[in-house]
Amino acid sequence: MSRFRRNAVVGLALVAALALTSCTSDGDTGPTGDDDSTVTVGLVLEPTDLDIRRTSGAALEQVLIDNVYEGLVSRTADGGIVDTLAENHEISDDGLTYTFTLNDGVVFHSGDELTVDDVVSSLTTVKDDDSLLDNAIYANVTSIAAEGDDTVVITLSAPDSNFLWNLTGRGGLVFEEDDDTDFSTATNGTGPYTLDRWRQGSSISLARFDDYWGDAAQVSEVVFEYIPDATAGVNAIVAGDIDVLTPVDANLREQVEAVDELTITEGRTTDKYTLAFNNQRAPLDDVRVREALRLAIDHEAIIAAIGGAGIEQGGPIPELDPGFEDLTDVRPFDPERARELLAEAGQSDLALTLTIPNIYATTVSNLLVSQFKDVGVTLTVDSVEFGAWLEDVYQNKDYDLSYVDHLEARDFGNWANPEYYFGYDNPEVQSLFQESIAATDEEQASALLAQAARIVAEDHAGDVLYNATALTAIADGITGFPTDSPNARLDLGELAAE
Amino acid sequence: MIRFLLTRVVLLAIGLLIASALIFFTLRVLPGDVAQIIAGTQGSPEQVAAIREQLGLNVPLPLQYLDWVGGIVRGDLGTSLVTGTPVVEELTEKATVTVPLALLALVIALLVSVPFGVLAALRRTTATGTAFAVTAQALAAVPVVWAGMILVIVFAVWLGWLPPQGFPRDGWEDPGDAIRSLLLPALTIGVVEGAVLLRFVRSATLEAIGQDYVRTAAASGLTRRRALLTHGLPNVALSVVSVLALQVAGLLVGAVIVEQLFTLPGVGRLLVTNVGNRDLEMVQGAVFVFTAIVLVIGALIDVLARALDPRQREAT
Repeated sequence: MSRFRRNAVVGLALVAALALTSCTSDGDTGPTGDDDSTVTVGLVLEPTDLDIRRTSGAALEQVLIDNVYEGLVSRTADGGIVDTLAENHEISDDGLTYTFTLNDGVVFHSGDELTVDDVVSSLTTVKDDDSLLDNAIYANVTSIAAEGDDTVVITLSAPDSNFLWNLTGRGGLVFEEDDDTDFSTATNGTGPYTLDRWRQGSSISLARFDDYWGDAAQVSEVVFEYIPDATAGVNAIVAGDIDVLTPVDANLREQVEAVDELTITEGRTTDKYTLAFNNQRAPLDDVRVREALRLAIDHEAIIAAIGGAGIEQGGPIPELDPGFEDLTDVRPFDPERARELLAEAGQSDLALTLTIPNIYATTVSNLLVSQFKDVGVTLTVDSVEFGAWLEDVYQNKDYDLSYVDHLEARDFGNWANPEYYFGYDNPEVQSLFQESIAATDEEQASALLAQAARIVAEDHAGDVLYNATALTAIADGITGFPTDSPNARLDLGELAAE
Repeated sequence: MIRFLLTRVVLLAIGLLIASALIFFTLRVLPGDVAQIIAGTQGSPEQVAAIREQLGLNVPLPLQYLDWVGGIVRGDLGTSLVTGTPVVEELTEKATVTVPLALLALVIALLVSVPFGVLAALRRTTATGTAFAVTAQALAAVPVVWAGMILVIVFAVWLGWLPPQGFPRDGWEDPGDAIRSLLLPALTIGVVEGAVLLRFVRSATLEAIGQDYVRTAAASGLTRRRALLTHGLPNVALSVVSVLALQVAGLLVGAVIVEQLFTLPGVGRLLVTNVGNRDLEMVQGAVFVFTAIVLVIGALIDVLARALDPRQREAT
């Protein structure tokens, strides 16, 4: 496609011009990467506010964690945990003491050096303030203390096999002590990029932080362009306006593939597109009805309808998370058996309502309506705004069936929490989950989770319609863009442009 | 005239007051809670309650309303519930996209409607005239979204002349770039709105052709066309200007839709995003400003029509 190339040439010329101007105007030369390129990334969902300790949502974590803010540890795209600000960490055999040794020479974007007190105060602030998100991860923590000037020791009252993982989240991020930055619109972290500018409703730009303690970023600027409309996003990358687009709507992938200079990658995710059953409400409190609904669903057809960008997931845990086991045989597509089960339960003429936030396309819900109709269940789709879903379904639990994407990794705990909107109350699952948390051996913790997950699947407490595959379109010359779990974290430390 | 102006200003003030009450209270009927949205699915009920308290959402509604209206009088539309930035500041920034977009669309609409509308009327008996009328009828029925998609496919994707979406990151630093990115969106609104206007221009012109004064002028020696141009068109202009006032609302609604379609960081996109976030303070500010614009322009057009039309002046 010559048009794309032409734009690429213009783009290169612009970059070169920018490089020239920055050479002339910018006298100081820090230990920068060797390249002055800008990479523009098209994303869908823009954060509403930048205060990461107070504002929920994956859109914020995706952009800021690892790039602007860092914690002692962070997660890898495929679900592992690595040391970040910590040079290393040790967990005592009883699982009660976590000792982190800090890296040397870490500097905040403000120019101040990271001290052990900054770490202690960051974690303590979240622990002590229950209005902050992730405050709950410190429930078992009895003390967070400095030892010498490069060691932090965290003591727990009971083992918590999730604790280290939880520290990779926003609750474990490290801020400068007594920082008076207005975190709603500005940032001050230790990451390889600084927040350059947030143009609300449009884009967020990050600039390379030249004094980064680790390997400096290879590109001088990353711009996240927010393009809510899937077609507009594809048009933008085809025209060469942006270099990367994630996610690409699977039904539009052919348009991207038609351009020689673009590549589509398929990444794994922990996005579980979940059809939740209100387990507390009749007749969904009857396991026969729940099983019938699951058997009535043709998961293969659903995945085909969304353009093939997903894999089947039979239980509550996706492949990237500990405790995964293939449980698809628990719910084969069997409409006949579904009808029998409904008849047994005395629900041959069942009418249910599906509450679905209007951010999701109607493809899947339309398919569910026809698949359920086939077994005699009349499904009414109630499409609402996300805010209304949060209030009616999530908060007030006033629903029959609900459909949303649960993208958080390692969120099995929701099935062990009877207060959660699933309303699934099974003491056996709850005790297995608690045992897994208390386990000090990783393998043992996973095995216990797998056991609990099987019970949830066999109880048909809910259905995962599919585990999404993330499609990312990347222009030639761009390397190091993470393709696994891109909507949870976008660690751009390795990003480079030719 | 002064009495007329005074009445018009009082009516405008009453209109704005009623609008403010309608906007404020109907928005409160919306389900969904900004505090819950800020806390998200990770927040506990305690966190949600704390955020509500902190944002002042527990204050009785009538008091919140009075507070808001009091602010408007002082030129303060409040602050965003989510980011804490002043609504006026946010709206002013977004207006740098929406206002030029609406003006550009208006210019395009006029360029389409006036010459072709007059031509369609003059040539009403010929094939050209019929073609204009039919095309206008068809275009006026086209949804803005569809028109936008077709324009993007042709001019951005096939021809590659204009950007398919977005606005330059440096805003108006390079006016050429900014205008290029507004051209397709403005065309989208302008063509559809222009088609609507064209029909008005055509029928107003047709009406003028049949008027006694045009016939008299023609009878007194002017050519029919000349008579229409000098005596008929000022009357056409009058009726078009009053229709234009109504079209401003259409332009603004068009801007809201088109900004979604083209990912333009304007007031329309701000509005839609904040409805989703239930940032009602921001939403009511934007809606109020839109309403005020429509009401004020309506009033101005009234005054203008009166100034232009001797018949209306003499009536008082």
